[in-house]
Amino acid sequence: MKERLMTSLMRSIRASLRSTLTAIAAATLLAPASVAVAQNVDLSTIPERASVQLTIYNSADITLVRETRRITFRPGLNPLQFSWANTLIDPTSVDLRFRTHGDQLDTLDTTFPHDRPQVLSWNVQSELDGDALVEISYFTSGIGWVADYTCIASTDERTMGFEGFVRITNNSGENYENASVRLVVGEINLVERVADLARRGVISQTEADEYRRGGRKIGRFRDDARMELNQEMQRAMARPSAGAAAPKEIIKEGLSEYFIYTIEGTETIPHSWSKRMRLFQGQRTPFDIKYRFRPQEYGAELVRLYILRNDEASKLGTTPLPDGTVRLFRDNGRDGLSFLTATPTKYVPIGQEIELNLGPDPRVVHERVTLRTWRGSFWFKDNTGRRYFDADGNEQIRHDYPVAGWDDHVRVAERIRNDRDQPIDVEFRFPLYGHVLFQCAAPATLHDFQTPQFSTQIAPGVEDQTVYEITYKQGISQKQQNVTIVDE
Amino acid sequence: MPPMPPMPRTARVIPPLALALALLAPAGFSPPAAAGVKLITLPGRERVEIQLDHPGVTLVEEERIVPLAAGVNDVVFAWANANIDKDSIQLRCLTDPTQIRVLSVSYPPGENALTWQVSSPAAGSARVRISYIIGQLSKTFAYRAVAANDERTLTLWQYIELHNQASESFGVTGMWPGFGERLERPIGGNETKRLLASKFDEVPVVKRYTADLSSHGYLDAAKRQLRIPMHYILQNDDAGGLGAFPLMPGKARIFQDDGRGTVAFLGEDWASYTPRQKELALSLGVAKDIVVTRTIERRDQRRVKGQLFDYDVVVKYEIENFKDSAVELDLAESMTALRREIRGDTGRAVEWTFGTGGTLRNPDADRSTADRPLFHVALPARGADQKAVKTTVRLHVVIKNEW
Repeated sequence: MKERLMTSLMRSIRASLRSTLTAIAAATLLAPASVAVAQNVDLSTIPERASVQLTIYNSADITLVRETRRITFRPGLNPLQFSWANTLIDPTSVDLRFRTHGDQLDTLDTTFPHDRPQVLSWNVQSELDGDALVEISYFTSGIGWVADYTCIASTDERTMGFEGFVRITNNSGENYENASVRLVVGEINLVERVADLARRGVISQTEADEYRRGGRKIGRFRDDARMELNQEMQRAMARPSAGAAAPKEIIKEGLSEYFIYTIEGTETIPHSWSKRMRLFQGQRTPFDIKYRFRPQEYGAELVRLYILRNDEASKLGTTPLPDGTVRLFRDNGRDGLSFLTATPTKYVPIGQEIELNLGPDPRVVHERVTLRTWRGSFWFKDNTGRRYFDADGNEQIRHDYPVAGWDDHVRVAERIRNDRDQPIDVEFRFPLYGHVLFQCAAPATLHDFQTPQFSTQIAPGVEDQTVYEITYKQGISQKQQNVTIVDE
Repeated sequence: MPPMPPMPRTARVIPPLALALALLAPAGFSPPAAAGVKLITLPGRERVEIQLDHPGVTLVEEERIVPLAAGVNDVVFAWANANIDKDSIQLRCLTDPTQIRVLSVSYPPGENALTWQVSSPAAGSARVRISYIIGQLSKTFAYRAVAANDERTLTLWQYIELHNQASESFGVTGMWPGFGERLERPIGGNETKRLLASKFDEVPVVKRYTADLSSHGYLDAAKRQLRIPMHYILQNDDAGGLGAFPLMPGKARIFQDDGRGTVAFLGEDWASYTPRQKELALSLGVAKDIVVTRTIERRDQRRVKGQLFDYDVVVKYEIENFKDSAVELDLAESMTALRREIRGDTGRAVEWTFGTGGTLRNPDADRSTADRPLFHVALPARGADQKAVKTTVRLHVVIKNEW
């Protein structure tokens, strides 16, 4: 009867909680471990999770799960079985530690039965007759998080509300209830994907090779991560739960090359659910407006940008901004919002500038007009191809001598009409390829060896133009692959 | 927590787009999708605004009054048969926003729904505004113009056409296209609504005839007779009776007062986006009463040095106006196309100057480009004997430094 009860209990728990720890308490306790594993389990107990913590990375599909369970040991050999059916747990990462009575407990071996996938068993030698707190940690895939941002610019486009959110999605196959959650920002190094390891099983060829070479079991990140995160985790788990009526605080801290967000209290994230929480909120964050024509960065159109900075002066700067989508709105002054753009943003460290690209502005019209093209400074070559003749020189140039070198000249106007009621700052930056001389009516500098840049300001309601001249040295006249700024 | 008033127990029924309030125990978290029968209320819309000012995105903002209990409330937003961008949905509390706050949002699997956990310090009603980007709700613009009988002015109507392909009815809805006045109309499901956005009277219009082989081709290639399109030109500025805002792209249908109390359809064209201070050109068809024959009268190749040549070219245009009124013809010539015609393409930009001969020497500086000079040629009306005067003009250019 008791056996049936336990089996039924196991089934019901497994249905909702797919990774289970079974303390085998059969009469075969003193038998060799292999016997316990090989036999059907007749009598067992299923210690429940005392706590669980998820550390979720956003740069790779990996989550470190640490759970604690309280187990009663008897002196002698205690077999434990851990199974994780229908989940995405990496079996090579499962680890057992004793949080209490570590001096009385010792893991003799870990066995992965060949005929039962997603199961392992530990044989624990105990000098203890009583309870101990054990910690089981493992990596799983299928849990991820992303950041996103909602910005609402003021009607006068001088400040904005800047809210950051994180959304956690659980597709791991496991329900994590009342889990403390930490999110890690940063680029970690993995040598194998956890999802592959979860599918493959215990021993891969790579691992076997590592064993033979005496290398570490898997991935240089994992052991380091455990050690580095351990202290932080203890602290986070000790934090009290949040009050019910206040948004949970998300604590942001640097950790090695990473940044870690600890969500206050605990969260329940069932399998296949997502949950979104506010990461931070910036009020009245100031920003500048720029117009830029930079084909290599923004495409071949003049675009409008909001420029702000992730620092305290901008009411931000409490955390780096992880990759995510920014949704930008503007208070339209009519008791509503105007949607401006949804744009992806890369990781923004504290102190760095943030560019929000609004795309072309229908109220600012940009035209690039070619005013004149012409050629000059011709050189010819003789039929041997070894002698060159300057067209303006005194030497006779025969009728059959082809053109060998010349200058192409083009004069261009960048015309802009500003239909806005504020002056606008416009920046031009574009590459010119070949041996180029660049002469501009506006002060110009070089961004790099082949990219001139200049800027101008256009008054409201005005059409203005900036004229420049480009000379391309061609044929034998081409001596360089760069741009030289020539003064007017 | 004060006792809640009795509420009817009802099955969770999701209309096409609904906000459901599920009152749960404070601080409790329960996946709403898991419950088959719940105690919910369905607060109706108090106000709906559709923002149409973005060129490609439609933003809906709706306000509802939500009864909240003290503590944490689950507010469920669900939709069916509506293409809502789930990531764009926001809830902002307009009543006491510093005290009534959104704690988190949960997304159930496989459902077009989300649940806000909203904290309220006391029981009571709160006005909330929900914003989201919606597909299947788009807009286009259309124009109707009726020209006066003398074709000197026209009346222009600008319409906005709202295409609601979702099965969601929004009721009386405010709409703002990004310019002009706010519009307010009922919007039903799966309907298209055409609304007058603006009307402009006495808009000056100019008829433009253009001869440009590279742009419009031949009407009769064997006879070298050019196709001469006619455009109505409207200036989007104050002097042009417009200029309040950019004109959006859309189909324009043009009619003319026939002088007998009715109108005749002249033609239609796609109006392009027209910023302020720029002109809108609407093509109405081909003017066959203006006959332009273009021939290359001279092509002389001159050696500069070595294998470097100049080309001396004269293009002759013989023009007859068979209309009973004088008109002005715009005559343009692409130098790149002309070079291709006389010696083939080289891939290099064309360098050219005017020659000393020719009658076309003063191009329109505003409408010419480096490659395409444009001239105006005045054409007299046909004579009393019904014969047209033949006007002959020549363009003399030197295409330089070719090899």
